[in-house]
Amino acid sequence: MAGIASGLFNSIFRRNYVFLSTVFLGAFAFEIAFDTTTDAIWNRINKGRQWKDIKHRYVQKPSEDEDDDDE
Amino acid sequence: MRPLASGAGPALRSWTKHSLPLPFSRIAPAIVTMPHRRPVSEYSPTSSFNSPFKGEEYSPTTKIPSFGKYMSKNSETSNRVFQYFMVGSMGLLAAAGAKATVQDFLVNMSASADVLAQAKVEVDLAAIPEGKNVIIKWRGKPVFIRHRTESEIKDARSVNVQSLRDPQADEDRVKKPEWLIMLGVCTHLGCVPIGEAGDYGGWFCPCHGSHYDVSGRVRRGPAPLNLEVPGYEFPTEESVLIG
Repeated sequence: MAGIASGLFNSIFRRNYVFLSTVFLGAFAFEIAFDTTTDAIWNRINKGRQWKDIKHRYVQKPSEDEDDDDE
Repeated sequence: MRPLASGAGPALRSWTKHSLPLPFSRIAPAIVTMPHRRPVSEYSPTSSFNSPFKGEEYSPTTKIPSFGKYMSKNSETSNRVFQYFMVGSMGLLAAAGAKATVQDFLVNMSASADVLAQAKVEVDLAAIPEGKNVIIKWRGKPVFIRHRTESEIKDARSVNVQSLRDPQADEDRVKKPEWLIMLGVCTHLGCVPIGEAGDYGGWFCPCHGSHYDVSGRVRRGPAPLNLEVPGYEFPTEESVLIG
């Protein structure tokens, strides 16, 4: 435990630029993970009710031109 | 000076030993300039601070309580790492939140998907024969579409680019060489040039006499720049999507 703590301190917290870079990189990774998680939860709750779930009922694959005309 | 220093030195030292606190006894040998230095321990053997608050006036109400009960059982390093970790986590969340806030405000200002979809124009290219111009309206402005012939393409590409006022190669202005697509707004004062006119076989602006070649580049007249090329793409072989 003490070895982990001192290793963590020496590698990250001792130099402020390393600390700050770690914080920003961590924020970047956290944002991706957070967005993915919340999107997955949202999609699970609204399963079957979104456009991407019912699109195949209204849009046929080959006629993309008709779809563009509707827009 | 020598007898005085050697005589005064030990006397001064013995005097400081008794009455002066520790720092003065450290300074004293530097002033006297001893011929040889002695260890510090000799100058301050047992000087200790006697607190005036101790003694017979001492009462148990002034006793400082022990906070040992509240002290952490962990080591100093793990406590410090925990503190830095909490600070860093808070900074991480704050940075992510600030970025998301700013980004949402900026995205809010950009055009929405339905506005962008309406701002596009799709043109059927099969209806335009070779060597003909078509003018369509896109976002309130005319857009020239020309189906260029082989000789016109060759003509446009044989021009020495560096001799032009606004040097731009024909390859940079078209995605497919037979289709020239550009905004029909003269770069001088915004008139609409006339097609298949002018001295260079391209466009001619009647307002102030600017001549454009078959690549829409200005060749003569007051216009400072070539005719602007909008963003476009070819979703299929026979159609173009402008916007």
